[in-house]
Amino acid sequence: MDLAAVERAAAGRRLRLPKGPQRGKVGEVRSASVGSSMELHDFRLYHPGDDVRHLDWNAVARTGELVLRVRQDEVSPRLEVLFDASKSMAVTPEKAARAREVADLLALLGRRAGLEVVLVAAGRSPRRAVGQETRTLLQHLPLDGAESFDVALTRAPPLLPCGVRIVVSDFLFESAPEKLTERWVRTCSSLLLVQVLDAEDMDPTGGAGARLIDAENGDALERVLTPGVLDAYAERFQSHQRLWEHAGARVHATFVSSSAAFTVEQLAASTLAPLLEAA
Amino acid sequence: MSFGFPLGLLALGAFAPLLLAYFLRRKQPPRVVSALFLWRSPDQRAQAGPRFQRFSREASLLLELLAVLAAAAFLSDVHLGARASKKHLVVVVDGSLSMQAVSQGRSAADRVRDRLAALALAEEAGQLTVVESGLKPTVLAGPQAEVSRALAALEKWVPTQPAHDVGPALLAARELAGGKGNKVHLFTDGPLAEGTLAPPEVEVVSVGEPLDNLALLSAQRSDVEGVASVTVRVGNFSRVAKNVTLSIGPRTQALALDPGATTVVQAKLQASGPLNVALPDDALPVDGVVTLLPSAPPSLKVVLLSGLEPKAGAALRRALAVVPGVTVSTALQPDAMVVGPPGSTADVTLGVSGATQGWLGPFFAQKGHPALEDVQLSGVIWSAGVSPPGRPLMSAGEAVLVSEEEEGRLHLNLDLARSNVQRTVAWPILVSNLVRRARVLQPGLPRRHLMLGEDVPVTTTPGARYALKGPGGIERQVLGVGPVVLPAATVPGRWALWRDDEEVDALEVLPLDPRESDLRGRGPYAVRAAASEGLASIALKTPRSPWPLALMLALLLVDFWLTARRRSAS
Repeated sequence: MDLAAVERAAAGRRLRLPKGPQRGKVGEVRSASVGSSMELHDFRLYHPGDDVRHLDWNAVARTGELVLRVRQDEVSPRLEVLFDASKSMAVTPEKAARAREVADLLALLGRRAGLEVVLVAAGRSPRRAVGQETRTLLQHLPLDGAESFDVALTRAPPLLPCGVRIVVSDFLFESAPEKLTERWVRTCSSLLLVQVLDAEDMDPTGGAGARLIDAENGDALERVLTPGVLDAYAERFQSHQRLWEHAGARVHATFVSSSAAFTVEQLAASTLAPLLEAA
Repeated sequence: MSFGFPLGLLALGAFAPLLLAYFLRRKQPPRVVSALFLWRSPDQRAQAGPRFQRFSREASLLLELLAVLAAAAFLSDVHLGARASKKHLVVVVDGSLSMQAVSQGRSAADRVRDRLAALALAEEAGQLTVVESGLKPTVLAGPQAEVSRALAALEKWVPTQPAHDVGPALLAARELAGGKGNKVHLFTDGPLAEGTLAPPEVEVVSVGEPLDNLALLSAQRSDVEGVASVTVRVGNFSRVAKNVTLSIGPRTQALALDPGATTVVQAKLQASGPLNVALPDDALPVDGVVTLLPSAPPSLKVVLLSGLEPKAGAALRRALAVVPGVTVSTALQPDAMVVGPPGSTADVTLGVSGATQGWLGPFFAQKGHPALEDVQLSGVIWSAGVSPPGRPLMSAGEAVLVSEEEEGRLHLNLDLARSNVQRTVAWPILVSNLVRRARVLQPGLPRRHLMLGEDVPVTTTPGARYALKGPGGIERQVLGVGPVVLPAATVPGRWALWRDDEEVDALEVLPLDPRESDLRGRGPYAVRAAASEGLASIALKTPRSPWPLALMLALLLVDFWLTARRRSAS
């Protein structure tokens, strides 16, 4: 995990927060929802139940209407990073490093944006870190989960309501993507799906026979990696990717897929760009 | 354990490629992938994996190795335990009638059974082939039958063959034993006939006894108007004179016979059915009893067509008048011999066509033809016309005097008005021959009694299916039309001729053969094989044991089940 590269990737960038209502404790980040901060947001007519303290008496005097001063809410939203710590995330050192760096980059940008960053890692045993501790956890987190990410998550603490939820995984497991994305988005305002793949995951090399061993459960399959076999893999891989993209789109989540072959700086400038914006 | 086909063990060579394939597959370079399910086609199965699956994989290899072992066992025809040592004992038993000779309550055939059972036990034979010698060698048991089954089959054996050469049976037995070098046993009751070609592998055991015997040597019967004339020849094959009583039907006659002497007994008695002729039981009872069937009346209808020359017709009538059993008419009748002029469709044509020419000789006749038998033409003037069609039977110069067509029509190219044939002794003989020939061509059995070993003459007509049925359910199909000679009937007794589903005629095969009745020269002896390597090797005729095949299939099924189970688990 190259912390310097993470810092360079974070330089001049900030997390693109969603426009929708945020959830979180009262803080410094202006929320899209109305609230009680001093920043004027809008005026509107009074409706029964509104706080009469927010009536703009000057406007009432001028117009004779009960005009309510709508102020922008100020919240301190939570950023929750769900990190896939299964063995498949460590099939190559590059993939493991890139996954850690991407998660660290997003957490770093979250912290810099004033968000309360919570990292939940689902591996052999679930881990949780908050704030600055997320980096430490990411640095020393063993990627040793022998189960797929969705199964490991069931042993993790229940998902708490949050503003932004970022899921960092390779999403290479057999489960119903739509159900998972629905579950993840239910308790957050915005869901970001960040996929980190190894180059071999995306475009495996062929030629000889191989004993393919599943990184997580140890299942094996002996195949001669002929062009036909590789084509069949590519077809199934693309189909799998489309499933996740479709599942993300259904819940208005952002799905990005990044390759571990690139550095985190390159990723920040390319595949992660939809999540970031210039500071 | 033994192997019927050791080359089948070569199947064990399949171990090498199987193990090689297994270890080659085990040594595929491992590659850890993030998502194995993306590599798996719908019908793909995991072939290795975690501990449990590796175990099943090794179990699969083990099962496949065992299946190869079972296949090798099947192909090599493996036998376990008692079946391991199987020797093939090939035996020729003398099937001649004299083997029925009884001494001290047991026949020679019984002694052969005892000796054969003891021999099979002593040689530890697992399989037995028994060949009966005879006019035609017959396999009584086997080839390569289980000993118990062969001995059981031998229990029903009744030797009834006439005197014969055992050489063909010995040669056949040697081939059944596997060729030269393999020992063959011959059980007989006396010395082999001179000139018998016994292979050096033959070990001869004689179980005969020198015995006194009285036998019927021949028996004939002719019936005329209900009176049966029986002629019997009786022989005394004893070392002492014998006084016996011969019974012919209800009549008995006392006979006194010196040693080696024979006597002829003739008797006439009223009888319309079969007559039994019997001597008292002695060493060989079977040759002392015969049944004589009534002879068929020698009736033949002769039809003289109206187109015949008057002189020819008259000459024929004169000659036919002296032939017994012939009735002459001019009206067409079924089964009659028709005589007509040349150009007619008669069975026999008599006369000439065209210009005639007289011949004094020399006459060239086909020797042995039944129509010309004993016909002497010296001093005969034969006047002949244009040569008739067919195969010449007698000719003079360029003229064909007698010819026979393919279907049996006979042409006598003879002008009796200008010949003197009808006034010579040749004429009645010629006519008699024609009558006899016509009788032979009558459907049925020309002879009522046959000696043992005689061929069976049968005359059939087209359009019917004939069969000869003998004692004990023996049935022989008669193939051929017209006069047919069947191989000798070797079982004494009554043989009936069946046309389609109806019995039309019968004959009696008499169990008479003087060579078999003379038991004085019989006796026990043994001759060891001059050159043999022992009994034939392990018999290979036994069916392969099916259990290795069943085991192999079961192993493959378990292997399939294990693999399928693992696939569903994965």
